[in-house]
Amino acid sequence: MRSHSEILARSKCQVVKKVGTSSSYKRIIRTAAAFLALDQITPVAAKILLHNKVRFSLTLTGIAIAFFLAAAQFGLLVGWINTNTAIIRHAGVDVWVMAPQTPAFDYGTAIPRNRLYQVRSMPGVAWAEGLFMAWNIWQRGDGRRVNVELVGLDESSQGGPWRMREGSVDVVHLPHTVIVDELYMQALGVRRVGDSFAMIGQQAIVGGISSGIRTFTASPFIFTSIKSAIRYDKRYLEDEITYVMARCVPGFTPEYVRDTIRARVPQVEVLTTVQFATRTVQYWMLETGLGLTVVITAMLGLGVGVMIISQTLFAITQDHLPNYATLLALGFSHRRLAMIVLMQSLALGGCGIAGGSVLFIAACYATAKTPIPLETTPLVFTSLIFVSLLSSGLASFVSVRSLFNLDPVSVFHV
Amino acid sequence: MNTIVECENVSKRYGVGELSEQVLAGVSLTFRRSETCVLLGPSGSGKTTLLSILGCMLSPTTGALHIAGQQVEFMRAATLSELRRRYIGFVFQHAQLLPFLTVEENLRIVGRNAGLSDAAVMERMERLLTRLSVDQLRRKSPAQLSGGQRQRVAIARALLHRPPVLLADEPTAALDWHTGAGVAELLVEQAKAEQAVLVVVTHDTRLVSHFDRVLRIDGGRVWEEV
Repeated sequence: MRSHSEILARSKCQVVKKVGTSSSYKRIIRTAAAFLALDQITPVAAKILLHNKVRFSLTLTGIAIAFFLAAAQFGLLVGWINTNTAIIRHAGVDVWVMAPQTPAFDYGTAIPRNRLYQVRSMPGVAWAEGLFMAWNIWQRGDGRRVNVELVGLDESSQGGPWRMREGSVDVVHLPHTVIVDELYMQALGVRRVGDSFAMIGQQAIVGGISSGIRTFTASPFIFTSIKSAIRYDKRYLEDEITYVMARCVPGFTPEYVRDTIRARVPQVEVLTTVQFATRTVQYWMLETGLGLTVVITAMLGLGVGVMIISQTLFAITQDHLPNYATLLALGFSHRRLAMIVLMQSLALGGCGIAGGSVLFIAACYATAKTPIPLETTPLVFTSLIFVSLLSSGLASFVSVRSLFNLDPVSVFHV
Repeated sequence: MNTIVECENVSKRYGVGELSEQVLAGVSLTFRRSETCVLLGPSGSGKTTLLSILGCMLSPTTGALHIAGQQVEFMRAATLSELRRRYIGFVFQHAQLLPFLTVEENLRIVGRNAGLSDAAVMERMERLLTRLSVDQLRRKSPAQLSGGQRQRVAIARALLHRPPVLLADEPTAALDWHTGAGVAELLVEQAKAEQAVLVVVTHDTRLVSHFDRVLRIDGGRVWEEV
């Protein structure tokens, strides 16, 4: 056992180490700041920007809106990707078995139920169950019809709603019982649990209400049992399902189990959860052209931001050319003047991004409980900020060029 | 070393071919420490061109310039910036203080740019602003100052980093006679106090009595009045 003084000495040593590290960071920062002459260029850059406060505010507003536009577009994209893969990701399984060439989760077609039994007998499969997915028509009390995506759950209700507001997921196993989501209650004409509706002439009683289980297609998910689902959809035979979901025995990878099923079960396509989610995203985002449209709009948002910064900076730089000429005459180098403009550009971009981020976060909260939420991930948002800042820096190019062409002699011609 | 600026056979021609114009023709001048000179001449005579060359802002077509014993390499913009930063102080016709900075900030950025520490800048600023009687104005913006006050601040700015060469382009042109004479007197006084070479370009012949040397320029040639 170490003595008290030993422990004290050791902890002191650690403190010294920490202090040493932090002071070396400070030294690095100080050296970098001195190298970039931040103490000289910062006040000039800031004062020039703030000299015309109205222009500064308007510019910031423009950049913030442009950044918000880009962030919102990417937010929509992330929201859509999350939505159209939600059931796949939340099912908690490793491998999906489906009819060949299934383009996306929403467009599965029938496979014989005996594929489920075949999958269960494969080495490496710990658990497997079926899932039903087909389009159907919901008839509201007022007679209006609504297209829905009918999801039929097997015995353990896997693939069903993962957040419930009222009731339990297992109510789907009661005869004629369905679960609807709170987001679509109005669209479906549902007011409370116990309300009764019809799907293709068959009774559907609302037995539970899920919370925030969105659909990408705008046709609400209706969850029920496979048995009920087949009763509602006459195109399916009694012994048909849409998907087989399987979990691996610990120690077996999804890829191994996928390949094994592929080799031994005929006339099906087998994908890991990641592959199926990717395929679904690719279908909706690329094959429908939706993703491209969103990305183009996001890029336009960034482009507008860059143009606003570029135009404003150029105007500010032109307004202050006599002052820049004075600084040149007084011994400031062209490089240092360029740093001033670059700093202004990054400051405008940074403040605009901060403003746009506040708007975006507010929009995320505002849309969280709507069918079209704005969402993001740390990677997407950080990348967007990085690209925006980089674009802000590039926006200073024209202004910097005009400074490099500035002749100090022009100070005499003011 | 007493010779601070040496200008050898400097010529300047603007443009090329038939449309070119010879502005300076073989100008040779030497300026010693603490010398104060006034450069007189009509408009278009090449006063500003000569001042620009002496100030390391414009390269001569031919000839050489030495400042503090160092030959000026006119081809490298970075070297010229460095020379201006270290050796030259400027006072312009309209003072050209940066309008978005206070008096103190105007001085501080020049001092810091010249490599002075914060403490040294503060100490020099204190002394110069007091000497030039504008120490009460340090928190004011240039727009709040009169023309004479602006020129005083410009003189302080020019002298802050102790340059051996002080160049002034029409520093009294925008001022009334009385204020202008006061500014000229201050310039000479401060240049002497700092042992700097002072070259002042002006149209105003009434100021010549303040200076040690009177140079006249016309037709690209410079001669000294005795």
